Amino acid sequence: MRRITALAATLLLALTACGSSETPEPAAAEASAEPVSLTDARNKKIDLPAPATKVVGLEWGVVEGLITLGVMPVGVADVKGYSTWVTAAKLDPSVKDVGTRGEASVDAIVGLDPDLVVVTTDESASTIAQIEKAATVLVVRGADAANPIPQLKKNLELLGAAVGKSAQAAEANAAFDRALADGRKKIADAGKAGENFTMADGWKQGSSISIRMFTTGSMLGAIAGELGLKNSWTGAGDKDYGLAQTDIEGLTKLPDGNFLYIASTTDGGDVFGGDLAKNAIWKNLPFVKSGNVHRLPDGIWMFGGPKSMQQFIDATVQAVTS
Amino acid sequence: MTQLTTERPQTAGTLLPVRRIRVAGVFVIALAAVVLLAGVHLTQGTSSVGTGDLLRLVIGQGTDNSANVLVASRLPRLLAGVLVGLALGVAGAGLQSLARNALASPDTLGVNAGAYLAVVAVAAFGVPLPVLPAGGVAFLGGLAAAVLVLALSAGGTSGPTRLILAGSAVAMALSGITTLLLLLFREETVGTFAWGSGSLVQTDLDAVGQMAPVVVLGLAASLWLASRLDILSLGDDTAAVLGVRVRRTRVLITLVTVMLSAAAVTVAGPVGFVGLVAPVLVRLVAPLVPGLMRHRVLLPMSGLAGILVVLLADVVLRALLGGQAGVEIPTGIMTMLVGAGVLVWLARRYRDSGPSRTPAGASSGLRSTRSFWIAVGVLSALLVGALVLAMLAGDAFLRTGDITNWLSGRSGRAITYVLDQRFPRVLSAVLCGAALAIAGATVQAVCRNPLAEPGILGITGGAGVGAVVTLMVVPSASIWLLSGVASAAALATFALVYLVSWSGGLSSDRLVLIGVGVSSATTAIITFVIVYTDPWNVSMAMTWLSGSTYGRTLPQVVPVTVALLVLTPVIVLARRELDLLSLDDDVPRILGVRLERTRLLALAAAALLTSAAVSAIGVVGFVGLVAPHAARALVGGHHSRLLPVAALLGAVLVSVADTLGRTLLAPAQIPAGLLTAMIGAPYFVYLLWRTRTTKA
Repeated sequence: MRRITALAATLLLALTACGSSETPEPAAAEASAEPVSLTDARNKKIDLPAPATKVVGLEWGVVEGLITLGVMPVGVADVKGYSTWVTAAKLDPSVKDVGTRGEASVDAIVGLDPDLVVVTTDESASTIAQIEKAATVLVVRGADAANPIPQLKKNLELLGAAVGKSAQAAEANAAFDRALADGRKKIADAGKAGENFTMADGWKQGSSISIRMFTTGSMLGAIAGELGLKNSWTGAGDKDYGLAQTDIEGLTKLPDGNFLYIASTTDGGDVFGGDLAKNAIWKNLPFVKSGNVHRLPDGIWMFGGPKSMQQFIDATVQAVTS
Repeated sequence: MTQLTTERPQTAGTLLPVRRIRVAGVFVIALAAVVLLAGVHLTQGTSSVGTGDLLRLVIGQGTDNSANVLVASRLPRLLAGVLVGLALGVAGAGLQSLARNALASPDTLGVNAGAYLAVVAVAAFGVPLPVLPAGGVAFLGGLAAAVLVLALSAGGTSGPTRLILAGSAVAMALSGITTLLLLLFREETVGTFAWGSGSLVQTDLDAVGQMAPVVVLGLAASLWLASRLDILSLGDDTAAVLGVRVRRTRVLITLVTVMLSAAAVTVAGPVGFVGLVAPVLVRLVAPLVPGLMRHRVLLPMSGLAGILVVLLADVVLRALLGGQAGVEIPTGIMTMLVGAGVLVWLARRYRDSGPSRTPAGASSGLRSTRSFWIAVGVLSALLVGALVLAMLAGDAFLRTGDITNWLSGRSGRAITYVLDQRFPRVLSAVLCGAALAIAGATVQAVCRNPLAEPGILGITGGAGVGAVVTLMVVPSASIWLLSGVASAAALATFALVYLVSWSGGLSSDRLVLIGVGVSSATTAIITFVIVYTDPWNVSMAMTWLSGSTYGRTLPQVVPVTVALLVLTPVIVLARRELDLLSLDDDVPRILGVRLERTRLLALAAAALLTSAAVSAIGVVGFVGLVAPHAARALVGGHHSRLLPVAALLGAVLVSVADTLGRTLLAPAQIPAGLLTAMIGAPYFVYLLWRTRTTKA
């Protein structure tokens, strides 16, 4: 009992160490730029007194988009992970980490006093509601397996409108279209149009390997389709990202063609090049036998924006035509 | 000493003569069943290779493709299943004989959880171990857990309730740490959490090949020990007289069974309850086949039964949901559901042979009114302190002046928002802590078991299932719908536990045992729902399996506030009855208390309080257990004093756990439930240790 009393006394003492981290509210500076008004993925009307400049992004694709448009975010979820997986648009060292992608710290976000927080529809409604009390929240749809490429462009346009860079967004989307057309032409010129194509990534737990397949509804699948390739994986994926799950045995359904995959040496390693190398099924898959397996360069974010997708287009064209 | 182990089938069984032909017959039937299942198992998978392709392969006309699928995917999966089933079956039978308790198994003794934690910890700290050393680490982890649980339950001989409680508490704490590691080292452990439930997906024969010798060695060693186990089942004294070195045999069989379980965990992760179910299957057949309970028959037979359970679970899973489900849904979920059913069935067969422990309130004696008020005063001060600390601490540390400004509405924009969003989290932690503590105190009184709690009775898990299913069907469900469904599910689960444990009267021990079974089943169901519908949603899994205040808003706190306001008076009104109920059955009857009605009412109130708390912050364990217990130690067992003190303690505990979770690794967040498990479980172990009874 005495110990508890002592503990309580210490605690109460600590409380008397008063003070404040800030001086009470100063008068807000007058906004000079034009107000912005737009409608986000929730069909919610968003009004900003001026284009946002201090922006926090909680999904990597959104962050990449912001940097593409020339707006360096002030806060990003999982900075270390972003730097590993996304190389299309580099973060400044000054960008603050605001926690994990699944459960970002609302404290950290509001501590940055952002004009705008951009999240995707994957974020839970209650988290969005909570951040919304602190800052304006723009919700973009993470992905749409029914409409992947238009969704990609729409997201960048929405971001551009919010940060006052609509022209840059249009330009980035146009550059993406040019890259796509260019890639399509290169593949056709090489006589590879209509070839089979598979995109996957995978990871290992214990002695089991999980393989994630990119269907035609996935962004990468859709882009490969635009490049003139034929997706060999015909199964359905989830309704947003168009991803499917399988094991090594499931790959036997695939015909010969270009098997592309992404791995990260610094994060998880290369299951296709390493762990599966001596697997009998893998060794005898038609595309493995014909040497058509291509590991794309590390750091192409599979759920990124137009810039990541341009990296993917270049890498795919390179792999298919080589 | 009074015991609950009314069933000692081994003793009767081992004395009967062995009928060799019948025993051989059973073996042949079991083997034939295994071969049949294995055949079906091989035809299932994600590729198009089916029965026809395999048959053509047998007659030498198969394609390379089907041969490869068979060798590199189907066979590894089948052999992994066989190995895991064999190892767990033998281990389960050995542990049951060792503990002289039909509820002992690698799961209920925490062996699987310990081994799995060791494997995950090694992966988390980036030591890339080959399979064999990984198995060694798993062995050490499993052994440590088994030794702890056996020590706490006096080698299992102090009755099934204690063994199960000790085992499930240790397993809960260990899996809390495992979850935390998976969460913190998501890159290194590449943890989708499905594998944590035991999956048979294999890519090569490496793991199986390296663990097979270990399992064979374990099987051989257990057969070598079999005759000593037979003699040991006659009782320690008899065995000693007959020249068996009791202690040495016990140590050896522990080592062998843990080795077997660890091998299984290394191959497939913790596949639930196989070690519990397999020996039970053998025991069901035993009356027809004299001699089946001899250990040199029982052990390999349980191994075969284990194989049957694992293969059947895998075959049924893929037959019902398609080959693709075999990739997505861990086989361990199926065995866990089956095992939970068997646990409930076994528990139903226990007869309560009388009070097995000192009543909850009696031993604590009476404390003075003064010490009660001191406790209330100090705890209130602590609660205020915890509240202030919770508001100050987090990603950004504030000062008390900020709070004063906030309260008077003069704080700046950033601080206002930080405190505005922190406030619902702090409030939900405090209120849920209090609600769980009051529910826990009630449950303990009614069950007359100081070690019971709403989580162990399956109430928490039931509410969790209700909430998760609601969120899957209606992702935008309001907190009222969520609370409503969670409450209904909690009450239904509780009603199920209550009715199933009712057998000519309510035995509180049976209630606890059946509750543990049902709560295991609810965990399996929650995992299944999340894995099946949203496999990549780790955050959601965290909330519902570990409890988290992340993203709480004020409206979400309303149901638990209402529950506290409405139900606390009900429980407080019944405080006298609770005092009497916690003594024994006779006193309240003599004094005219309507025993069953009061019990049911109190438990229903506890269930509602719990489900309101669960729908606010998810499944948070141990608060309902630790808070009332500590309160009893402080102010004695009278509920008029116990209830307020327990509520204060619960509020402080969850609040502090939440604050730590938000602060320790900021900006990353640790779910509050994991921290309460880590604070609560050692305290629980200490409680068990203090009240352990050693057998002379």
